[in-house]
Amino acid sequence: MAKPKVAFYWCASCGGCEEAIVDLAEDILKVVEAVDIVFWPVAMDFKKKDVEAMEDGEIALAFINGAIRTDEQKEMVELLRRKSGLVVAFGSCAHPGGIPGLGNFHTRESILERTYRTTQSTVNPGEVLPRTVTEIDDIQLTLPKFWNTVHTLDQVIDVDYYLPGCAPPTDLIMDAVTAVLEGNLPEKGAVLAPSKTLCDTCPRSDSKPEMLRIKDLKRPQEILADPEKCFLEEGLICLGLATRSGCGERCINANMPCRGCFGPVDGAHDFGAKALSAIASLIEVDDEENTSIDEIQELLRTIADPAGLFYMYSLPSSELRRSR
Amino acid sequence: MSEKPKIIVFCCNWSVYPGLQLSQLPPSAVDDSGVEYIITMCSGRVSPELVVEAFANGAWGVMVTGCPPGECDHEGNYNMRRRMTLLINTLEQLNICPERIALDWFSASEAAKLEKAVNKLTKKITEFGPINSAVEQG
Repeated sequence: MAKPKVAFYWCASCGGCEEAIVDLAEDILKVVEAVDIVFWPVAMDFKKKDVEAMEDGEIALAFINGAIRTDEQKEMVELLRRKSGLVVAFGSCAHPGGIPGLGNFHTRESILERTYRTTQSTVNPGEVLPRTVTEIDDIQLTLPKFWNTVHTLDQVIDVDYYLPGCAPPTDLIMDAVTAVLEGNLPEKGAVLAPSKTLCDTCPRSDSKPEMLRIKDLKRPQEILADPEKCFLEEGLICLGLATRSGCGERCINANMPCRGCFGPVDGAHDFGAKALSAIASLIEVDDEENTSIDEIQELLRTIADPAGLFYMYSLPSSELRRSR
Repeated sequence: MSEKPKIIVFCCNWSVYPGLQLSQLPPSAVDDSGVEYIITMCSGRVSPELVVEAFANGAWGVMVTGCPPGECDHEGNYNMRRRMTLLINTLEQLNICPERIALDWFSASEAAKLEKAVNKLTKKITEFGPINSAVEQG
């Protein structure tokens, strides 16, 4: 029997998800034993025309990482969708939007202006900005259109499953591949990770007091965090209480609080709103009855860049999706 | 502008809402002014997610009402105030003007004060107009 065909593709991402595949180490041999990799631009020499030549649905499974922010990315994921039986949104950028999704605080114009004109390191005497079509003599050069808004993968094509994480941990990748090979898949649309929050599985949860309240808000660079203690108890904002678990607590074990790369748990629609609600609920205010709204505001202003913090990995998938 | 402002007012079922209902509200809880009242069991149950959803679905402004300090049995009003303040700061970075979210305290008997506050918010929001909804591909 022919081996199932698998494709990997990347869109607006950093390449860390590709690294995650390589991080499978010896396990990647098990993967290539069981499947035929038919498309993987970062590692193998297949072209777009090779994919176009395939029958619709011929690829069993496409892992697509990265958010969608250009016409080219849209064209490629639409092609892969047509040729693939299953599409998995691989990693934070494809799933809730990821770090490239922070581009939605800005507009196309402001991003191009900053990148091509005003950064300290820019040397652009002709003030040239990227254009979709450039005529040189008789030659027409084209570039894909850069979108005003970063989209998640499922805002552009139909997605079957989500593999969360920045980047997804190797155990979840292997579980996903095994589930596909064995035909042991959950309901369409499922996130292939536990449905608990990170707080539930956090190695520091034993140190969490019964009644957790945050008195003094601090930022990670301001204190040396106790490697045993709950971050929230120390006044550091940790988003583990709103974030899906399954990451292997990599940040926690590196003594850094969670920033939500695994996205929300089932049933939550807007990760940032959920996370900020949980944090605001924990903040302790002395004599709250006699505290004015201005004093509350002053206290909460100590949370710098709240939108960047609470929507760090999820702005494109949030209800508002971008700045207005 | 011919379009009417859409305003969502969250009201606690156990304080100001019953009085408001007696004073003026038609049975559908929706009148033709574009103001819609949503009844909750406590202001502490108004999750920031609901407010964001209201804006994403075309609301021009949102008012969240709570019992005055010391009057909520569950201290939900304090939770609401902290959550909404943090939400206001967050949405400000997404260019949702802080004045589009109104927070205020109302006792059970203060339906008239609430009506006045809603009218004031409506007037202000009408000047602001709708939130830019463009989230296009391309």
